Amino acid sequence: MKLGIDIGGTFTDFVLFDNNSNQLYFAKTLTTYPDPTVGIFNGVKELEDKFGFPVKDMEGIVHGTTLVTNAVIERKGAKTAFITTKGFEDVLEIGREMRYDIYDIFLTMPKPLVPRNLRMGVSERVDIEGNVITPLDEGTLESLATTLKNSGIEAVGVCLLNSFANTSHEKALGEYLSENVPDMYYSLSSEIMPEIREYERSSATAMNAYVQPITDKYLKDFETQLRKQGFEGNINIMISSGKLTTIDGARKSPIHLLESGPAGGAMAGVFFGKHLQEENLLCFDMGGTTAKACVIYEGKPEITNHFEAGRVKRFKKGSGLPVRIPVIDLIEIGAGGGSIARVNNIGLLTVGPDSASSTPGPACYNLGGEDPTVTDADLVLGYLNADYFLGGEMKLSVQAARKAIETKLAKPMGISIEEAAMGVHRIVNENMANAARVHVLEKGMDPRHFNMIGFGGAGPVHSFGVAKLLNTKRLIIPVGAGVTSAIGFLVSPVASEKIHSHISELETLDWKEVNRFLSDMEDDGYEFLSQSGIAKKDATVQRVVEMRYYGQGHEITIDLPEGQLSEKDITEIQERFIKEYEFRYNRSIEGMRMEMVTWRVVVQGPIPEMNVEQFSTGVGGDESYKGTRKVYFEETGYIDCPVYNRYALKPDEKFDGPAIIEETESTTVIGINTTIQVDSDKNILIDLHQ
Amino acid sequence: MQHTATTFDPIALSILWSRLISIVDEAGTTLQRTSFSTVTRESNDFAVVLMDKKGRSIAQSSVSVPSFLGVLPILTKALLKDYFPEETWKEGDVVMTNDPWLCAGHKPDIGIVSPIFYKKSLIGFIGTIAHSPDMGGQLWGAGTRDLYEEGLMVPPTKLMSEGVPNDTLFNILEQNVRAAEQTVGDIRAQVAANDQGIKSLMKLMEENELTDLQDLSDAVINASEKAMREALSAAPDGSYHYEYDTDGDGRGVGCHFEITITIKGDEIVADYTGTSGAHYMSINAVLNYAFAYTAYPIKCAFSPDVPNNDGSFYPITVTAPKGCLVNAQKPSPLGARNVTGNMLHSVVFGALAKAVPDQVQADCGSACWCIVLNGEHKGKEFVEYFFLNGGYGARPTMDGEHVLSFPTNVANVPIEVLETDVAVLVTEKSLLPNSAGSGRYRGGLGQRFSFKNIGEKPINVSMVAEKTVTASKGVLGGEDGQMGSVKIVPEREFPSKGLGKLHPGEELILTLPGGAGYGDPKKRDKILIEEDKLLGYIS
Repeated sequence: MKLGIDIGGTFTDFVLFDNNSNQLYFAKTLTTYPDPTVGIFNGVKELEDKFGFPVKDMEGIVHGTTLVTNAVIERKGAKTAFITTKGFEDVLEIGREMRYDIYDIFLTMPKPLVPRNLRMGVSERVDIEGNVITPLDEGTLESLATTLKNSGIEAVGVCLLNSFANTSHEKALGEYLSENVPDMYYSLSSEIMPEIREYERSSATAMNAYVQPITDKYLKDFETQLRKQGFEGNINIMISSGKLTTIDGARKSPIHLLESGPAGGAMAGVFFGKHLQEENLLCFDMGGTTAKACVIYEGKPEITNHFEAGRVKRFKKGSGLPVRIPVIDLIEIGAGGGSIARVNNIGLLTVGPDSASSTPGPACYNLGGEDPTVTDADLVLGYLNADYFLGGEMKLSVQAARKAIETKLAKPMGISIEEAAMGVHRIVNENMANAARVHVLEKGMDPRHFNMIGFGGAGPVHSFGVAKLLNTKRLIIPVGAGVTSAIGFLVSPVASEKIHSHISELETLDWKEVNRFLSDMEDDGYEFLSQSGIAKKDATVQRVVEMRYYGQGHEITIDLPEGQLSEKDITEIQERFIKEYEFRYNRSIEGMRMEMVTWRVVVQGPIPEMNVEQFSTGVGGDESYKGTRKVYFEETGYIDCPVYNRYALKPDEKFDGPAIIEETESTTVIGINTTIQVDSDKNILIDLHQ
Repeated sequence: MQHTATTFDPIALSILWSRLISIVDEAGTTLQRTSFSTVTRESNDFAVVLMDKKGRSIAQSSVSVPSFLGVLPILTKALLKDYFPEETWKEGDVVMTNDPWLCAGHKPDIGIVSPIFYKKSLIGFIGTIAHSPDMGGQLWGAGTRDLYEEGLMVPPTKLMSEGVPNDTLFNILEQNVRAAEQTVGDIRAQVAANDQGIKSLMKLMEENELTDLQDLSDAVINASEKAMREALSAAPDGSYHYEYDTDGDGRGVGCHFEITITIKGDEIVADYTGTSGAHYMSINAVLNYAFAYTAYPIKCAFSPDVPNNDGSFYPITVTAPKGCLVNAQKPSPLGARNVTGNMLHSVVFGALAKAVPDQVQADCGSACWCIVLNGEHKGKEFVEYFFLNGGYGARPTMDGEHVLSFPTNVANVPIEVLETDVAVLVTEKSLLPNSAGSGRYRGGLGQRFSFKNIGEKPINVSMVAEKTVTASKGVLGGEDGQMGSVKIVPEREFPSKGLGKLHPGEELILTLPGGAGYGDPKKRDKILIEEDKLLGYIS
């Protein structure tokens, strides 16, 4: 038996897979503050009470949390110092000197995680090839250590210039610190992100140090409490690349947890895709404040190394602190159920990116919110059931929603309430489809070649509209649409991801050196997997290089040929590069030199099997058809639309749209000219006939 | 300007408008990810503009830098009027030019315009403008003596005719520029970006059953125009005069700017009468370019949120006497005209501070310093561009940010990348305490950046520094920022603009100016002063 636990901002989700009965069980509890482990053990107890599975019977637990992301956004990390090469203490604050908004003269840049008075320089210098120009001045380390102790510093990040080319000075500093200030946490850039570009490396290192003490304490508590309850299995932690690490791995490099929840969602997409024989999928996840989209191509999620945390303006690229770690390439859009709609200063209807969040929330919550939101529009259109929101736990007010839309939108635009509500629904769909389209195109792919899978609280309400805009043929609304990330946790592989910077033109590569570091990285990976009980023979190795045409600034990722590399592989690598380049950009450049920059080795355990035969879902009943209600569609206006209870849907049931399918955490909205098919697992498959 | 009422409701228009912007952004993505030029890909020094068949801009890529504001529609309108009339365009044609008076004010900026046909009729144009890695001539910088030293000039010429490449033109380009594969590669990237835009637009036309772009074009242009006019109407009518001086060559031949901004009803006129004549160094701006950098601060002050198109600029008029620094004529040298363009916001905000003090910022420690290093490293010739920025000006409600690009928006080159490409060792990069102008809100700090030649051969350095003998100006009682400096060790004369040599073992020390303050320093919050002291921003 395996358990996935996903801590989100509002809810903590649980998914339990029983491999004896091949059945999945779901649970949801409120996330507790300040100690989220309380919420976890509430849920653990619920699982035992409700289904009879005590935690001690679990073979493994996989966990993901928003802890790290929130610590960065809310600036609630540890008191952190930063050590760098003398003369470069301000690199962390200066950043790349670029604005993220061209027209806003009132913009503010993100403050560095370590203020200027806690950044210290040491006398040392290594050149770009790794030669020591100035030896590390060990005489100053003692006073440095004293300063750190006296300033109440809990963690320190160390990033020296060119340390990716020669790690010795950083290592020496690390050793000195661990001997002389043993209680302090420290992060070395050569271990966290050994890549060229000092600001990005400094930023990642400082952030790792900043979140390390709280993550470490939290994970220790989490593990201790689980062991106390008799749990003896493996604990793995979900990381941003859609892989799993160990508790130790997470404690060492907590920044890898930044996107653990969203990565779980994407991995669930991979799982359902495999299950339904859909190799290329667009995953679409819409919640209360944001929507996320990511691409699964040939059964694998797309990975990027460009990521930002703690944005000053949430949806503005460049307004955050860069962290170059492998993350599943998700775009985040300011479009959720709580997104506020308004008529702007030029008389146009706009939606988001700001949100009414949970308090006061949408107008229909009747908690004092006066701004019309996406949820209000969805309610007016009949997509949501005022008496069955969150399974009836929350009563919605149609009247309040209509009033907000009427005063703030319909009257100023001189149109009906329904037209305004439909406008809000369409515009938010349009925003999401546009962002998804640019995202897919950036990868050189065609959005029309993807089917879509939709989940999250608001995902099933809006997926159909977005799918129509993207010319999608088939839309899938999987079971457990409210706990998808936690499902993803259970189907992600344990893996080690190592990176190495070695910049050289392809033609003049030192192959001996390349083979040496590649094999070291591979060995480290086997060693790491063995800690989770995975044998070398069960591991798969992926070796990639990020390369570019000489003179370009963007690298693309190429799989390296297998085995020992040599000059003989040059042609093969060139061909692979050109093929990938043409795929991404529809062209290549003849005779242009190529350059290798960053090398990555992923050593990965097997993807856990999960042959689900049955989902334990909510209260069923015999009859799926609940009757009809007035629902507004763009093409028809209000019609009497059939409403179904998802829990009572029969495997292989088939009917035509339009339809509304209700479940506790969401509602699936399906427009006209569609065919709906329920599969044996109660996934809903919608054929859009386009 | 009179436009007919349109058939689009606020919802349909909102949707179509965001699709149009999405289309140019998709094209911009294609360009940025396939170009070689550092400034194009790292600094967004490019623009993609979708235009109607009259050459009026409908949508512009959202991340583009201000230097290209309004340039492509001016170019396209000129192409239609003087070079290729409407009826002569064929599907698959592509026109190229880098004429500074038609494009963006110096030869490295290449404009590429493609017609858009839908169901066999011309419905509009899409154009890209981007900074190419090289156009021949001297090493780029402020030191050229006339236009002819600045490399190849291509008048508006068909790069492709009905899809067939003009081999002669490609050949001429390849024979005249350094790193030809990169320059030509970037031109092809621009063509590909146009093609991407056309492809996406076709889909929008089909899905929305549009027959041409005119109604939609009228609707969005009207809306942007209306927003700008409303904002201008809210400002007090009057004439606002401001004078401002910059370095020029930094050795006695400076530049003097005068501006008179007149706001009357919903129109604004910026007139540069009184500004000094064309400079002997290549820092002269053509009027197109001066317009872009004058319209930009006006847009920031009055209508920052509304997407750009032709309509945003209808209420703005920029005039300057022929032959002056901001309306240069042939054969004035133009290469480093950015240093002049980058100062115009100071002049405009200086005048606007008298009209709308809450909508402007104090002077920045700009212009952005551009440094080009050229020499040999590991047996290969290198030409490395890099950029450094000064402090940002204080705002009416907050301090200026330290070391931040304005009004252009260029990133620095990472130290480790610079050391990979060039035989230098960077010896310092730090904030410069006390360099900002004080005020109720202070400016942002400038920076110190120094590097040493650790190679065996001299490195040619093309310097374009600014504010080394003049300072960023405070607003409404705010103090000026500290001036910058260019020094070499061992000490000797080194030009702040123009060409110099950095010999092996020599170190170049650059200090960049701080931003100016806003409002009376005596009114500064004591807590903010304490914080500045604690962090060592002031001593």
